[in-house]
Amino acid sequence: MGNVENCLLPLPATIQKIIPETSDVNTYRVTFDDPEVMANWRNKPGQLAMISLFGAGEAMFSISSSPTQRDYLEFTIRKAGVVTKALHSLEEGGKIGIRGPYGNGFPFDLMKGRDVLFVGGGIGLAPLRSLIEFMLDDQNRADFGKIEVLYGARSSDDLCFKQAVLEDWPKRPNCEVWTTIDRAEDAWKGHVGFVPAYLEEVGPKGEGKVAVLCGPPIMIKFVLVGLEKLGFKDEMIYSTLELRMKCGVGKCGRCNIGHKFVCLEGPVFDLVQIKELPPEF
Amino acid sequence: MKAVIDNLRREAVRLLANDEVKMVIGYGEGTDASRTTPYFASTPEQSAAFTWGPLCANNLAKHLLDYRYEDTRLAVVVKGCDSRGINRLLQDLQFPRERLVVLGVPCGGQLDRNLIAPEIPPGARLQGIEDTGKVYVLVTDKGRLSFPKDRFLMPKCYLCETNMPVVADFMAGDPVPSPAREGSDRTAEVNEIEALDVAARSSFWDNEFSRCLRCNACRNVCPACSCKECVFEQAVPGWQQSGIIGSKANSLPENMVFHLVRMFHVIGRCVDCGECERVCPVDIPLRLLYRKTLKDAHILYGAGTPGMSTEVQSPLSEFSPEDPEEFM
Amino acid sequence: MITRDQLATLLDRLVEKNKVIAPVSDNRGVVRYTAIRTAGDVAWEFDRAKVPPKSHFLPQTEELYCYDTTGGELRIEPVPAAGRAVVFGVHPCDLRAIAALDPVFDGVFKDVYYLDKRERTVVVGLACKQVLPGCFCRSYGIEPTDGEGADLMLTEVGDRYYAEILTPKGEALVREFPELFSDGGVEEGRRGKEALSRELAGQFQREVDLTGVKEKVDTMFEHPYWQEVARKCIGCGICTYLCPTCHCFDIIENHSGHRGSRLRCWDSCMFTDFTLHTSSHNPRSTKKERVRNRFLHKLSYHNERYGLAGCVGCGRCVAECPVNIDITKIIADIKEVD
Repeated sequence: MGNVENCLLPLPATIQKIIPETSDVNTYRVTFDDPEVMANWRNKPGQLAMISLFGAGEAMFSISSSPTQRDYLEFTIRKAGVVTKALHSLEEGGKIGIRGPYGNGFPFDLMKGRDVLFVGGGIGLAPLRSLIEFMLDDQNRADFGKIEVLYGARSSDDLCFKQAVLEDWPKRPNCEVWTTIDRAEDAWKGHVGFVPAYLEEVGPKGEGKVAVLCGPPIMIKFVLVGLEKLGFKDEMIYSTLELRMKCGVGKCGRCNIGHKFVCLEGPVFDLVQIKELPPEF
Repeated sequence: MKAVIDNLRREAVRLLANDEVKMVIGYGEGTDASRTTPYFASTPEQSAAFTWGPLCANNLAKHLLDYRYEDTRLAVVVKGCDSRGINRLLQDLQFPRERLVVLGVPCGGQLDRNLIAPEIPPGARLQGIEDTGKVYVLVTDKGRLSFPKDRFLMPKCYLCETNMPVVADFMAGDPVPSPAREGSDRTAEVNEIEALDVAARSSFWDNEFSRCLRCNACRNVCPACSCKECVFEQAVPGWQQSGIIGSKANSLPENMVFHLVRMFHVIGRCVDCGECERVCPVDIPLRLLYRKTLKDAHILYGAGTPGMSTEVQSPLSEFSPEDPEEFM
Repeated sequence: MITRDQLATLLDRLVEKNKVIAPVSDNRGVVRYTAIRTAGDVAWEFDRAKVPPKSHFLPQTEELYCYDTTGGELRIEPVPAAGRAVVFGVHPCDLRAIAALDPVFDGVFKDVYYLDKRERTVVVGLACKQVLPGCFCRSYGIEPTDGEGADLMLTEVGDRYYAEILTPKGEALVREFPELFSDGGVEEGRRGKEALSRELAGQFQREVDLTGVKEKVDTMFEHPYWQEVARKCIGCGICTYLCPTCHCFDIIENHSGHRGSRLRCWDSCMFTDFTLHTSSHNPRSTKKERVRNRFLHKLSYHNERYGLAGCVGCGRCVAECPVNIDITKIIADIKEVD
């Protein structure tokens, strides 16, 4: 765990490496300045952390690195608002603050012994990546069945984690990756088309399989229709929800959907839960 | 009073039954005997709940802004002071005239809730209101309560400029005498503050602004505050990035920025309806601040109270070669 | 028992070593809980403070920590913990409201700023002397003389106060100043309190029946009723800022050059930017969603999460809402609508 004594106090951290993903998305590899904090940090795949840019503010992001990676944390962040603009202006060696981890994370114990299909769109692959890498890690690989990843983005430039998606993951045993982009490009030899359509085309069988989704709401909406056709059960479909957060610890009152706080009871919900939530997200 | 209410209800029924408007915005019975509440009727049947009287302080013109991007035609009930707000919204192109039916009511002055509430017996239910000329009588199930107009009206009413609407498509009653006090000087209170030296004036407003809760009620009730997105709520106003000015922090500088920006923003647009002062939960004399700008606009540009007509432009939205320019 | 003069002496003595918060009336007669310098600052005859005493435990603007990024280094310094404090003159509804806030700031993630003040603050309750037109605490099972939640509870009886020690903190306070309290007339005090309680019980003008309200409102998320309420609402923050159980906040930046701090400020679910995403998506984009969220929070969500009512019937929103949105009417309407 991170800061237990004062849950609102960020802990100093340093950007060790900036890995460009797309024209406006970078992955930031960070370490806590206090080695003891780094050594004691534990998070689950799919959990969140509050990133502090001093002079700009705080914003919540999913941790995109696998918890099996104990030397650093990675966050994959698009330049969009005040905080992310300030972050993108930093260079390696830059100082930020981190507090967390927050949220429930993916219930990977429930996925043990099963095949898992990941469906991601654009930067939505970031939280999924933490779980994919976690499952592909040698110490966990035997616990899970086949891993399938269907990933799409608007253009080839908008694909995140290109090395993993295009090179590394497809080479791993019992792991299949399908990649698509929305519109044709001269240099792109892969599939062209929207994620939900590609899902239907690939047609992975849903029986006994877990599906984990993250992407823009419109993609999620149509992917859910496709998953149902493929025989995926609601309780086996997981997605992450995103709401504005200020505290991350269930007190500031912003991220509630009904009586649930996304920062505490989320961001991961199964489809049964999502259908029970009032439609206010 | 009863005749006006009947006329109002009849007209609302007619407008809704003939589909001339989709909704009528007026006043409905409040949850205690000292007030009414904004009421919205969409069917002729609902129109039976409209009321009118000296407990209708709310300026309903503000509610039009909620429907400005729709294409429905609406009717709204206005008093004299509120009607200036209608003209201002029309002038600022915040609401199209062709989508609006103005239902005017003659106003003999509004009772000050802070003054009458303590006089009303606990749990009393309002059954009707009579206007005897000099006195409003609240008829309740716990007796008749007399409120002489010369003592129980809202302070703004004693300075009333237009107790009959300056714009109306339908008048629900005949003219009634203005509650304005004979010979009253609308600038008297402003003059008093102006007469103080700089330090005293500064400490007066410092004290008032430091009491502010930053609840935004003054802004949100104001018909002149018609911005779709308020400058204080912009996600990233350039000038906010390097400091906390414009944030939700409650401090004297923050509060002062809020009130002074708002003040400058409503010059030539504030119709002096006094709603800001009525709703302020900590009783900041906001109307005094805006009346200072009214006075200055009058001295500098000869401007009258905004909204008296749609013909006269707001002084800060047109240039005239005769405008004072001592700052050049 | 303690006399008014002795109580004033007590406050004066407490001021020497503690921050003492009490109802204070400003130049326009608006009463809030403010730090006093002497007992003379206290608005002894206040009925209901406009701003509830949550402002002590969750100040409207509170510095959380400071930082310094000079030379590319980063130092973060938490603000030192608050010292001992006494909050004097808390009415029963506000006592109950503090109890409703406690589990929000406690739990798995402990909010040290709030909890530290709670731990180091002695709460001196004060029985009401009158019931105001907006009051409906009784519907929430609170009597205007209830001491529940106070460390020391005072009830004005004649020219003295009947003092009840309710917690070890309250006991410690009395033990610190034994000369100011006396045992004489305690029985008379107790009887006086009972009589006051009976008298006040008959003064309520507003009562609501909460039976089945949570269950009903839980089925009303999509009900057109919320649109009806929202039409009136002007979206100001009066109801939330004056509500003793509302706790929403923002964390904002306060900096100049390389140095700065983070401030926690009250925020309101009634404000348009409260849930606005960077992408410009807003899950509660209109007044209907915002109004609905507030009433569901008060009547259901708080209860669902903490097993405690999210409203205590203090009547502040009833009294101050500029458009007469009255939660007692909302509760009655909820029971009525199809």
